[in-house]
Amino acid sequence: MKHTLIWVGLIGSAILSTSPSSAESLIWGVQVEQLEHRYNDNGSNAIAWDGDAIVGTDELKFVLRSEGEFETDGDVMETLETQARLQKPISTFFDAVVGVRADTPEGPDRFHGVVGVKGLAPQWFEVDADLYLSEHPSFRVEAEYEALITNRLILTPSIEVDIPFTDDREIEIGAWGPKLEVGARLSYDVLDRSIAPYVGVHYERTFGETRDIALEDGKEGDALFFVTGIRLMY
Amino acid sequence: MIRNTLVFAGLFGLSVSVLNPAVAEAGEYNLTVDRITIDTGEFTRSGIGYNGASPGPVLRFKEGEDVTINVTNNLSEPTSIHWHGLILPFDQDGVPGISYDGIAPGETFTYRFPIVQNGTYWFHSHSGFQEPDGAYGAIAIENAKREPFRYDREHVIQLTDAHPHSGDRVMRNLKMSADYYNRQQQTIGDFFSDSKKMGFGATLNDRLAWGNMRMMKNDIEDVQGFTPLINGQSTQQNWTGLFEPGERVRLRLINSSAMAYFDIRIPGLKMTVVQADGNNVQPVTVDELRIAVAETYDVIVHPKEDQAYAVFAESMGRTASVRGTLAPREGMIADVPELREDPALTMADMGMAHEGMDHGNMGTMDHSNMPAMENGSMPSHTMPDGTAMKGMKHEGMNHGAMPSHTMPNGTAMKGMTHEGMNHGAMAMGTSEDSFYAPGSGLKPTAANGGKFLSYSDLRAQKPLYEDREATREIELRLTGNMERYIWSINDVKMSDAEPIVLKYGERVRFKFVNETMMSHPMHLHGMWSILDTGKGKWDPIKHVVNVSPGTTAYMETEVDAPGQWAFHCHLSYHADSGMFRKVVVEGGPQSTDADFGNVSGG
Amino acid sequence: MTKQTTKRAAFAAAFAMAFMVSTNFAIASPGHSAKKNVGEPGKSSDVTRTINVKMYDNYYEPENISAKEGETVKFVVTNAGELVHEFNIATGEMHKAHQPEMMMMQEHGVLDGDRINMEAAKAMQASMGHGMHNDPNSVLLEPGKTGEVIWKFPEHAELEFACNVPGHYDAGMVGKFKLTH
Repeated sequence: MKHTLIWVGLIGSAILSTSPSSAESLIWGVQVEQLEHRYNDNGSNAIAWDGDAIVGTDELKFVLRSEGEFETDGDVMETLETQARLQKPISTFFDAVVGVRADTPEGPDRFHGVVGVKGLAPQWFEVDADLYLSEHPSFRVEAEYEALITNRLILTPSIEVDIPFTDDREIEIGAWGPKLEVGARLSYDVLDRSIAPYVGVHYERTFGETRDIALEDGKEGDALFFVTGIRLMY
Repeated sequence: MIRNTLVFAGLFGLSVSVLNPAVAEAGEYNLTVDRITIDTGEFTRSGIGYNGASPGPVLRFKEGEDVTINVTNNLSEPTSIHWHGLILPFDQDGVPGISYDGIAPGETFTYRFPIVQNGTYWFHSHSGFQEPDGAYGAIAIENAKREPFRYDREHVIQLTDAHPHSGDRVMRNLKMSADYYNRQQQTIGDFFSDSKKMGFGATLNDRLAWGNMRMMKNDIEDVQGFTPLINGQSTQQNWTGLFEPGERVRLRLINSSAMAYFDIRIPGLKMTVVQADGNNVQPVTVDELRIAVAETYDVIVHPKEDQAYAVFAESMGRTASVRGTLAPREGMIADVPELREDPALTMADMGMAHEGMDHGNMGTMDHSNMPAMENGSMPSHTMPDGTAMKGMKHEGMNHGAMPSHTMPNGTAMKGMTHEGMNHGAMAMGTSEDSFYAPGSGLKPTAANGGKFLSYSDLRAQKPLYEDREATREIELRLTGNMERYIWSINDVKMSDAEPIVLKYGERVRFKFVNETMMSHPMHLHGMWSILDTGKGKWDPIKHVVNVSPGTTAYMETEVDAPGQWAFHCHLSYHADSGMFRKVVVEGGPQSTDADFGNVSGG
Repeated sequence: MTKQTTKRAAFAAAFAMAFMVSTNFAIASPGHSAKKNVGEPGKSSDVTRTINVKMYDNYYEPENISAKEGETVKFVVTNAGELVHEFNIATGEMHKAHQPEMMMMQEHGVLDGDRINMEAAKAMQASMGHGMHNDPNSVLLEPGKTGEVIWKFPEHAELEFACNVPGHYDAGMVGKFKLTH
């Protein structure tokens, strides 16, 4: 409640600012980094997405993030993560993040607090590192790089590592058994940076105990997907 | 000659008043602010215009008259009009929050002020992003006496960088992704072609050096994808101005862009610059000039042939251009020159930006192969590490006047101290322009190899003020965070800043230290900016001072206008994101009453 | 003296005289063959008319001048402006050729806005062979000063009076001589 009030106050004062000649505009936008169809080498299909809705000012931004994976073959919501984050600059290129994360896929729900950093590392690597705090804490780091083949044709390799600190058998997690996702997506900016269709590959693999659990349950330890999708920004 | 001009002016004035409801009666003008559709030939969009058009009408005032301007706001949002470059009471200056509350939707606001100057100026909205959306027009003020230059006819050449996106959208996009509009970024292909030119090691080091800073050397124009217009017309629409061969033509060049600087040339014609920012300068003839955002230049051209001439304006970052035609008859089309190669910033342009940066790895950079430089060779004076520039006194750094032969006894170099500069190497073909960092990738050269106007060439025709020592100096570091698209002064945004307080009667010396990699056209409202070009009493009197990356520029202001004034970078998206200050002038006659009855005559 | 020395001395003297004569009649431009088309310095005793010319920033009064072919006119030129100006009688081409010289004078600090720097002029003359602006077909004046040009007009010529201080000609500080029989 307090957060909402603070938030309304911030937005309100920005809007009601009485000197339009020099008033800063409200920052807002929607960035959907991934909206794709994944096709597995063993025939399974899924729709996956990863997007942020942002509103705020230079000093404080509110971000609503949604990440998910929906297996179309079995109509199963494999992954559904929703995060509400507050982001604040702490250095020239990095922001500190604090928030909450709700996982509500098929199966048991999980809720975590989020503490992290997000920004641009030297040599143009976009880095996102979060600590998820709860009964089943974990650490996740994502890094991405945009390689310009031309000014419109962009190859984006990405890597994500998720390390759980404790067991969570219910959702097939083993302590210190990391999950790795590696991707390479080739996109083309069709309309500014608003619409950019892409094709690419996406590889997932689990290690350690997490992998053992998956194999025990008859699941694959790794999977390679061919993806086609679209990046959106407005 | 004068007779012809008067007849022409009379006919023009008559046609203006017939065709243009702006001129109700001499001294009284009407403007409406309207939503309009802008059609550039490349795209159409919704925008804002004056009297139904963008650009708005050319307001023709007479020096010495008292003007009354009724502005009716037909928009559904507040608006304002600022008279750029005009000296007037502060409550007529048109800046919401500083001069007044703005003009509410449906309201008619009446401006009243005396015209105390002559020359070319312009007007525009100072609300939101209405100016980039089309709300701008020109002001031509007739001299009460005879002009110090002759011409048979004149044309207004007002440039803008029309963009398909609304100003609000552009600002939002820049905040979400600072390189949203930059399509000149270095690609993998560039890496290979640079490797061929400079060698793999040098190229890798170059990329690593810039990557370490997370800065782009090709980020000269933040906002690309615009269609430049001359008087509202793109190259396709071909604005045409007529002349009779043998006539002298005065061109009132105005850059009303939101973000773009233009390099202007007229192949086949030299331009004699007679005014800069509305003030007469000792005439200087050039082949090409760069006009920063919000600046004006009045030039005389003398076309003798019966042919069409191209008035060509190329954006500084070489991403777009516009061609207008000067012709003896309608229907003629001048050729459109090709865009020149994109310039790239060099480490020299980063000079001020990096206290404590490890410049050690710069030794491996091969400076002699910058793509933009026409002759590829750079003056070989030793470049101290950027931070060393602070301590040097350069009296405005007038190196522009150095010719390429050895000086007999240096009498012309009076008053300059040159610590750190290697003079022997200066005697080379390329001349330095002290308003760019030594070795800058941004320094322009004329396309035909001729003379390119530099600030160093500007000398006031008639000084407006007695030349005296400044009473104090105020340092304004031009700062910003490109990645977040935050722009500021002394690292503080407008919203967090205290006003700059000046005292009526003092002479303040402003020191602009550009710690960013962008050029900033700094504009102080209501009072003149006397740019220090090292010419003492002949320093030019301007209202916009461009400060190039990695340089320090000085200008002095005689504080003779009471009230409060805006002071900001005139790049629209920089001003809005914080590169702005309110200036409060304490003391002086309290003449806030804009009523004519109280304004003393003359 | 030996015969050879005498010959050399005579030759040197003749050369020196020719040089002095030619430089005395030098006009403010390269190319002395232009003498025929431009007229020549006149003798005070031949003056039939005196015309007062005022120089302002940046124009002349009168704007155009009529003269008779062969007439010797005395021009009393006053600089009523605030900048240094020139009153120079020559053809358009000669003016164009003179402008780079004046530009060099400005770059060397000889022309300094509203004054003429004589030290810089002497220095320039010493190192470059020109810089002292003292030719008979023109005067270069500081604000407030007055100078004279006595000129004998030729037959059939297109002459202009102009100021070649950098930029002034292009700004319109030029007028035509209308020559009549």
